[in-house]
Amino acid sequence: MTETMEDLAIETIDLRKTFQFGDVAVPALRGVNLKVRRGEYVSIVGPSGSGKSTILNMLGALDRPTEGRILIDRIDITKLSDWTLAAFRNRKIGFVFQSFNLIPRSTALRNVELPAMVSGVPAKIRKERAKYLLEMVGLGDKLNRKPNFMSGGEQQRVAIARALVNKPAFILADEPTGNLDSKTSSEIAELLCSINREQKATIVMVTHNPELANETDRILHLRDGVVEKETAGVWGDQPSNGERGTREAYPGDSD
Amino acid sequence: MNPAELFKLAYSALSERKLRSGLTVLMVIIGAALMTSLNGLGGGMNHFISDQLGTLGANLIIVLPSQPLATMGPPQNTQKITINEYTVRTISRMEGVSQAVPFIRGAANLKSGNRELAASIVGMDQSRLRYVIPKISLASGSYVSNFDSVGMVVGTEISFPPGESTVFAPQGKMLIMEIAKTETVGQTQKVVTKSKSVQVKGVLNKLGNMNADGIVFMSLDAADTFFEQGGEYTGIYVITKDPEHNDKVEKQIRDRFGKNIGVTTPKAIAETIQSILSTFNAFISSIASVSMFVGAVGIITTLFTAVIERTKEIGLLKALGFNSLTVLLMFLTESVTIGVVGGMLGVLMGIGGAYLLIRVMPFNFGGGGIRPVFIPSDLIYVAILSLVLSCVAGLYPAWRASRLSPLIALRKE
Repeated sequence: MTETMEDLAIETIDLRKTFQFGDVAVPALRGVNLKVRRGEYVSIVGPSGSGKSTILNMLGALDRPTEGRILIDRIDITKLSDWTLAAFRNRKIGFVFQSFNLIPRSTALRNVELPAMVSGVPAKIRKERAKYLLEMVGLGDKLNRKPNFMSGGEQQRVAIARALVNKPAFILADEPTGNLDSKTSSEIAELLCSINREQKATIVMVTHNPELANETDRILHLRDGVVEKETAGVWGDQPSNGERGTREAYPGDSD
Repeated sequence: MNPAELFKLAYSALSERKLRSGLTVLMVIIGAALMTSLNGLGGGMNHFISDQLGTLGANLIIVLPSQPLATMGPPQNTQKITINEYTVRTISRMEGVSQAVPFIRGAANLKSGNRELAASIVGMDQSRLRYVIPKISLASGSYVSNFDSVGMVVGTEISFPPGESTVFAPQGKMLIMEIAKTETVGQTQKVVTKSKSVQVKGVLNKLGNMNADGIVFMSLDAADTFFEQGGEYTGIYVITKDPEHNDKVEKQIRDRFGKNIGVTTPKAIAETIQSILSTFNAFISSIASVSMFVGAVGIITTLFTAVIERTKEIGLLKALGFNSLTVLLMFLTESVTIGVVGGMLGVLMGIGGAYLLIRVMPFNFGGGGIRPVFIPSDLIYVAILSLVLSCVAGLYPAWRASRLSPLIALRKE
């Protein structure tokens, strides 16, 4: 059991979030318990209003829960100050957004460097790392291109490289293919898969795209603020972690 | 994050909106340039005045028949008295007085061949010139004795008028001195020209004061005769034993002659002019500082717009690990960059602007009189003021930016 504990990248314990609108209290999360092992590729799916965005904000350390605990790399982030939380996000979480969120005036290289710059990595080292990552995502020839001169797929590749630059505990992807056409979507999905396999990166993806969710190891179905059920993705039987056994293919998210 | 990185971020953000940043910088430049050039002009005028009056001795009091500076306002009801040998004797016996040197001042034309020059003629005992103008010295020749009726000593600008190619009155030169005067014959009056031959006996060294350098000195008696003064003097240069005695001597003269006599010291004249000037300068610099404040408001507006435009970007930066302080510093750096660039360019343009202004100023005495004087501490003050104002102006927008939540980054478009 201890060994399993050590393997956890993320764990939430009875996570609750209630939004207060005047006198009305709206519960968004009502006791979420989830565990993500290191090296796992997990998707969180659910209809709108299920609490997807809320859990995303919690896992991204962007918002605080009303109750419960979030452990990332065994650190309880609910106890951290805003100041420490900023540094924590910088080092432990790699964000991939639906709308890419690149700085338009900076080159691809500068965009990827940015989180490393914040954490104080010397310029030479972070440039090399950024260059390596951009080559890895297939943009080795577009290091100095600015986002406005790149396609959506290319921009999302830059964002993925940026998410990896500080070697985070996990990558948090929010609808990473939501703004892309189907062909580009599958390319990005493939890239995420290969990063998971080859770089052993832990990825948590929030999506309502069933095809995309299917490509992950495990799918957590969120409904009314709780994890309703858990299924395995089609690739779930391809172990990225020796512990996992064969799972049945899941036909897809009904959402 | 180190300051160089912050500056790079700020610079790239500013250069993304070149026109807007440029216009904001321009606002700061105008304020700083205005302040710099007006300071320079004010300094130049002060310098000019102390230069003009500084050639006169510190223990000098000038006594004239009426208030010399009462040129504005209603005419004063003073009975002009005659200054003559008796006045000189009375004053020279006063306590604290070293000497009383009477002088006669007039204007005349000097002619040499077909060249003509208007000059200010001062007749006085030349052995006592050095008490009135301590720095005075002869370049050539000698002073004129009290009994010499044709000799004169000329300033450099008479000897060799500025802007002319040849010497006008070298030592030894014979000149014709002319004045026009009215003559009454019976009941009719007519204008006649009175002329006299004179000779340049000595030429003075340059004093750097356009009034002193343009004077022709002759003996008191010769001036009395030529200007037909009949023993009446234009005024008296009173030399006190020490500048400390000036007030005491001035009081004695006023007590003795009342309002019928004007007493002044070069220092008093300088102070009067300078106090008028400094009021004027204060007025002008308050206008200049208003324009600096307008520049600061420009910075606030520009930064607020930037914060609103870049809300999502700020959210992203926070999600990527920028803490509130880093966001605050990033926007402050943008503001300070505008302030510093604007301030520096403003100071440089202000220096240039002062030289331009001086060319078009109506009171510039023909272009050579006043030169702008820039005091390094004034320039630094303007630059630092731009820095401080930009810092203060940037504070609120930067603070607002730093308060934004990282959740904005996830907002769907």
